[in-house]
Amino acid sequence: MTAVLEVKNTGIRFGGLVALDDVNVSVPEWEIVGLIGPNGAGKTTLFNCIMGAYTPNTGQVFYRGRDISLLPTHRRTALGIGRTFQNIGLIRGLTVVENYMVAQHSRINYGSLSGILGSPRVLAEERKLRANAMEVLDFIGLAHLANSHLDGLPYGTLKLIEVGSVLATDPELLLLDEPSSGMGPDEAHEFGERLLELRKTLNLTVLMIEHHVPLVVGVCDYVYVLNFGKLLTEGKPNDVRRHPEVIAAYLGGEVDHEGTQEAAGVTA
Amino acid sequence: MATAQVAATAPPATHAGRFSPSMRGWFARIGVLAGLFALLMWVTAVVPGYWADRISLAVIFAIIGISLNIVLGYVGQVSLGHHGFVGIAAFVAAYYVTEQAGCTPETGCTITAFSTGMVVAAASGALAAGLLGIVALRIKGLYLALITLSYGFVAETSIFEIPSLTRAGSGMPAARPTAFDSDTEFAFLTFAFLALVIYLDWRLIRSKVGRAILSLKHSEPVASSYGINVTAFKILAFVMSGLFAGIGGGLYAFRLENVVANDFQFTSSLLWVLMVVVGGLGNRTGVIIGSAFFAVFPFLVELIPGAEHFFNDTLSRNISYLPILIGPALAIITIIQFPGGIAEQISPITRWLRGERFSLHPEGHGSHSKKDTRKAMLAKLGLDKNGEGEATEAPTEEIKQDSEPVVQGQPEEPHGSAGHDDTKEGVS
Repeated sequence: MTAVLEVKNTGIRFGGLVALDDVNVSVPEWEIVGLIGPNGAGKTTLFNCIMGAYTPNTGQVFYRGRDISLLPTHRRTALGIGRTFQNIGLIRGLTVVENYMVAQHSRINYGSLSGILGSPRVLAEERKLRANAMEVLDFIGLAHLANSHLDGLPYGTLKLIEVGSVLATDPELLLLDEPSSGMGPDEAHEFGERLLELRKTLNLTVLMIEHHVPLVVGVCDYVYVLNFGKLLTEGKPNDVRRHPEVIAAYLGGEVDHEGTQEAAGVTA
Repeated sequence: MATAQVAATAPPATHAGRFSPSMRGWFARIGVLAGLFALLMWVTAVVPGYWADRISLAVIFAIIGISLNIVLGYVGQVSLGHHGFVGIAAFVAAYYVTEQAGCTPETGCTITAFSTGMVVAAASGALAAGLLGIVALRIKGLYLALITLSYGFVAETSIFEIPSLTRAGSGMPAARPTAFDSDTEFAFLTFAFLALVIYLDWRLIRSKVGRAILSLKHSEPVASSYGINVTAFKILAFVMSGLFAGIGGGLYAFRLENVVANDFQFTSSLLWVLMVVVGGLGNRTGVIIGSAFFAVFPFLVELIPGAEHFFNDTLSRNISYLPILIGPALAIITIIQFPGGIAEQISPITRWLRGERFSLHPEGHGSHSKKDTRKAMLAKLGLDKNGEGEATEAPTEEIKQDSEPVVQGQPEEPHGSAGHDDTKEGVS
């Protein structure tokens, strides 16, 4: 069976800086795959390459066996790839429910022209969009915030709203960029539970950038480690966590086989 | 697929707790609207011809205001070259009816020739602005403003100087259709076009197109990850703006009946930008009122005894320069003191007409927290572009939460149970 997402030999350089070098990542159906690495390792850059925000210098991206390397971002969204951002990826000027309506853009069943001219079908479709948006909000348990503006909402709530907005794009593959940032340990744990539940309910496949080690260990089936644009190692979360090079990369020190457990504690 | 599944399992959303007027309330609102409309029509019908002509100028300004509001309010970019689009459309309309359809000031125009002239005017405006939209894909902010400024000047010094299109100094005649020859009849015709433009702008902003354009303004990466084709919608926004500017330009030509290049200068563009800012960025009602105000203001001042003498003789300035003198002052006051412009000042009335409770302080509701004020300020500054709609919705939500705290807890319940059902379904 082909993987949902396959990144092959991807490399990108910005001027003299090699941001990604020959990276291979494979995300099989229904798995939650983690992507970890120190700051500046190229994790978000890889996301940008997968979504088409950046054009890699080398390599290809395959989605369900199809080469999508040349598709613009919005076409990739339409194929079913949803993405969250490191700093909240929501439209600030719109309310929560309106964000969820925009997010359904590629599923809307009327053309731009009929939208401007207006027809009963457009009005019916708009009602459906709002209803869908409310359903997603109910689903993530934030229906009471439907008409709120984003300003002034707590960071953790915004992160959750953002995940919901990506769900509204109706994805099959979810790219989450540090979903638990700004959450406390309890919230992060709860988020992990919720993610597992989401995968079950919506048949999602997930690629997730995450720093929170307990969350990675708790939910990920497989983990890739990036460092300085290169794939350092990959494997099951618990193996990767004890990998000496990973610990060295995070702490910036020498490979030290004795202090592994202690260092893992620090990263957590 | 995911949304479909969510749709199947999650409980339907309810909008309980939102204020809705009674039947009598709705009748009152419809009555007020109908009364205002009837008053406007009656005034247009009874005033002398030269005042009807000024009313049509106000209506044309309103159309141009709505056009500029798309670029300024929805896309969030400054266009200082709108006189280029309006002028091109005016000349194209005049050229078509005179040179192609053979209308003369003596015979007048047929309705067909006039309609075709308006269509080509709108199309030429859309085309001219679409080209600018392509530029705007790469350039933003100050530099785009500079480009639009140059665009206007290029139109002034090149296109408006083409003798076969503009007949140089003497101007290109644009005969009105015979059925709408008098100034009063023509004013009613402009109202019909204003209604069309309002309708299109309303549908634009209430459909996926408007939401896409508003999203682009706030964040292009997020918009594209929502599945929005950034390139297409940005160009479409400029095309729609140009289309409306073209309609305004075409009407301008028929209002003047003889189009000369002097009618479309940079000062017009500047005035139009000011009137949109004073009207209230991103707010259609405010922009219409602001535009109409700037159009008729000098004529109203003329009514003051002695004012005309003061301007013409004492200052030796034409009174039509007045708007461009007071415009900047009003814009400064608006930006510093009333960021929402006229739209915000009349918002208690527009909110009420939309079916909300009447309230003079819609944002605060007694307890003015800093957060609320900031939110309101952002809304006013045009950082939330859907305008009144949102600003009105947020406070009602607050009432709901204040008065019925139970509502807040409720969504959790059905969600939880739905979640469990889902899990079972997923497993089985």
